[in-house]
Amino acid sequence: MKNPALHNNTILEKIFYDDDIVKKFLLATIIWAGAAFIFGLIAALQLAWWPMNMNLEWVTFGRLRPLHTNAAIFAFAGNAIFAGIYHSSQRLLKTRMFSDALSRLHFWGWQLIILSAAITLPLGYSQSKEYAELEWPIDIAITVIWVVFAVNFFGTISKRRERHLYVAIWFYIATIITVAVLHIVNSIEIPVSFLQSYPVYAGIQDALVQWWYGHNAVAFFLTTPFLGLMYYYVPKAANRPVYSYQLSIIHFWSLVFLYIWAGPHHLLYTSLPEWAQTLGMVFSLMLWAPSWGGMINGLLTLRGAWHLLRTDPIIKFFVTALTFYGMATFEGPLLSIKSVSALGHYTDWIIGHVHAGALGWNGMLTFGMIYFLVPRLWKTKLYSEKLATNHFWIATLGVLLYYISMVTAGITEGLMWRALTPEGKLVYPDFIETVVRIVPLFWVRALGGTFFIAGFFMMVYNVCKTIQAAPAEQSDSEAQVPMRNAVFAEPDPKVGHSKLEGMATVFSVLAFIAIAVGSIIEIYPTLSLHKYITPANMVEPYTPLELAGRDLYVSEGCYVCHSQQIRPIAAEVLRYGKASTIEESMYDRPFQWGSKRIGPDLARVGKRYPNLWHFQHMIDPRAVTPKSIMPSYGWMVEKETDFIMLRKKLSVMKTLGVPYDEDTVANADIKAQKEAMVIAEDLKANGVNIPKLEQKQIIALIAYLQALGQKGKQP
Amino acid sequence: MKQDGLAFFTDTQLTGLGLVIFFSFFIGVLIWTSLKENKANYRKMEQIPLTDGDN
Repeated sequence: MKNPALHNNTILEKIFYDDDIVKKFLLATIIWAGAAFIFGLIAALQLAWWPMNMNLEWVTFGRLRPLHTNAAIFAFAGNAIFAGIYHSSQRLLKTRMFSDALSRLHFWGWQLIILSAAITLPLGYSQSKEYAELEWPIDIAITVIWVVFAVNFFGTISKRRERHLYVAIWFYIATIITVAVLHIVNSIEIPVSFLQSYPVYAGIQDALVQWWYGHNAVAFFLTTPFLGLMYYYVPKAANRPVYSYQLSIIHFWSLVFLYIWAGPHHLLYTSLPEWAQTLGMVFSLMLWAPSWGGMINGLLTLRGAWHLLRTDPIIKFFVTALTFYGMATFEGPLLSIKSVSALGHYTDWIIGHVHAGALGWNGMLTFGMIYFLVPRLWKTKLYSEKLATNHFWIATLGVLLYYISMVTAGITEGLMWRALTPEGKLVYPDFIETVVRIVPLFWVRALGGTFFIAGFFMMVYNVCKTIQAAPAEQSDSEAQVPMRNAVFAEPDPKVGHSKLEGMATVFSVLAFIAIAVGSIIEIYPTLSLHKYITPANMVEPYTPLELAGRDLYVSEGCYVCHSQQIRPIAAEVLRYGKASTIEESMYDRPFQWGSKRIGPDLARVGKRYPNLWHFQHMIDPRAVTPKSIMPSYGWMVEKETDFIMLRKKLSVMKTLGVPYDEDTVANADIKAQKEAMVIAEDLKANGVNIPKLEQKQIIALIAYLQALGQKGKQP
Repeated sequence: MKQDGLAFFTDTQLTGLGLVIFFSFFIGVLIWTSLKENKANYRKMEQIPLTDGDN
């Protein structure tokens, strides 16, 4: 097709876009979406009905939840953005991708990373840093494959046949640069063994770097690339240009500049220094403006074409995605206000919030994109528009059920946790009361998820039927594009932002600076942790056995249900003890403050119960808390602690600055075994009769739990 | 807790200056992108996705 925007005298050249790579990423998106959604549903059902893990350690909530989040973010959303970027960039830059080989390397490398995540996470190899759980060899693989993607993408920009970079491309550039920075900085870790490592950051450093990463994984993996896709596919589907190109420029720069600062809003009222919390809150509030600017820009693109909302399922998906984007980006700043966070943090409100974003925004936009792309790529018609419309309705109903039930659950939990009698006592001193109250809402959530998955399977059927009906002979799309020399021979407009859009390198550097400013100002000061430590409050490092137990706690993913951070809020101090201090987590690698309390906070659980209580609680939580929904950890009584490894572990910790003496490092295993013997003897004296009890994992875990909140120098 | 390394964050003159710099920069960008001579280019740019010959 001849391009009407070009001058008549331009010589055109015929090229072929690489459609095969887009098809590959698109099919991978669909396959992994199924996995991510089903893991999510099983996890949701486990919370509603604890025996749902079928007593299998590999699919127990602590290991399944990271598998679910990683699959949803990196496998489902990841493949979706790659599909969209590979499809739209070739067309916006009017050239085939830079290298077919790099495209394939990117594709297969990424699938291999996902596969290794799907194997290691259920086996308990986890760094227990949210959305950065994967262990160091996989971290390195991610870096390599991301560089492959970056080279391929920037190579494509460099051989483009369109001088100016359309707004979607800016969002892709910001994504590629920022994700690289986030991933590398957050993954600096020292290996202990082939599949275990300790982060170089500890305590508040680790918390700040992790949530700088975690929040910006949402910003630069689930927002900016999807906004880029939105700026391309919404105008395409509505067949009219974006509402305001000027607004898109403002949207881009303010979003990229502001987002990077917002991470600390995940750490309000924790022991993170106050100034960092305030910065996080203020920048989160400011984010409301560009986010809504972008939403309005997307929605108003449909001006004069609103009738499509009635007839076209693709537009239905896109408009709903943008609406959820608007809703989630309104709620995010709201939750970042300290007093709202005081109520909402650690509750299911946050879970509702992220799913409004993930299912409503990322999910709906991806489904719209799939329905748009499949018929075009396979050169046929969609099998059934009606089925797509049904998918839309059932998915929307599912997200709404999910969202409403979780916000209700969250506010209920928040209010019950903080409820005080006129005498100043807790109204619900037993944490389990607040859990039992929301279990019915867990069932509603699971029902919402089931609807969403039912819709997904309608799409799978629709896509399969569409592809079956496609012509057998498939070829790449062909396009007539101007010669590169001709494009760049045209006089440059030399005005405003469009000049910048002609200079891809300068543009990328500016985008990098925009994200670097906030990152450096926030992270740099905490790197000198000693400035924040009051020597009189210093704590003792974990003993060898406690460290072994801590690693088990990390590996089992206990942080997904239990926080270790008591906020200086009256009800919390009454329930758990005095507020957590910076010093208490100064040797914690990784930090385990958590983000959700499905069970109570554990920061001061040490010495609160006898060893026997913990032993019984781990084997069968209902033996000591009749209504508990915690899974049973029977395998910890069978599996043995790896004592020999402790020498290596302590030596790595010593390298990182933990003050262990030479003797403790050299004899870590022997010291740990002695400690284990003491706990085992105590259990035996109380009637536990298991051969070689002192060797079992449960002993190390009990040692760690009993140490929580007990490492300070007692007054 | 006293943060020696970050005492400057409590210096209202410096943080005020930061506010003025960032805010003026933002207003500057607003004006810059609103310049009349940009409009024609915006019209051209926004057509890029619609004229890639792949509908």
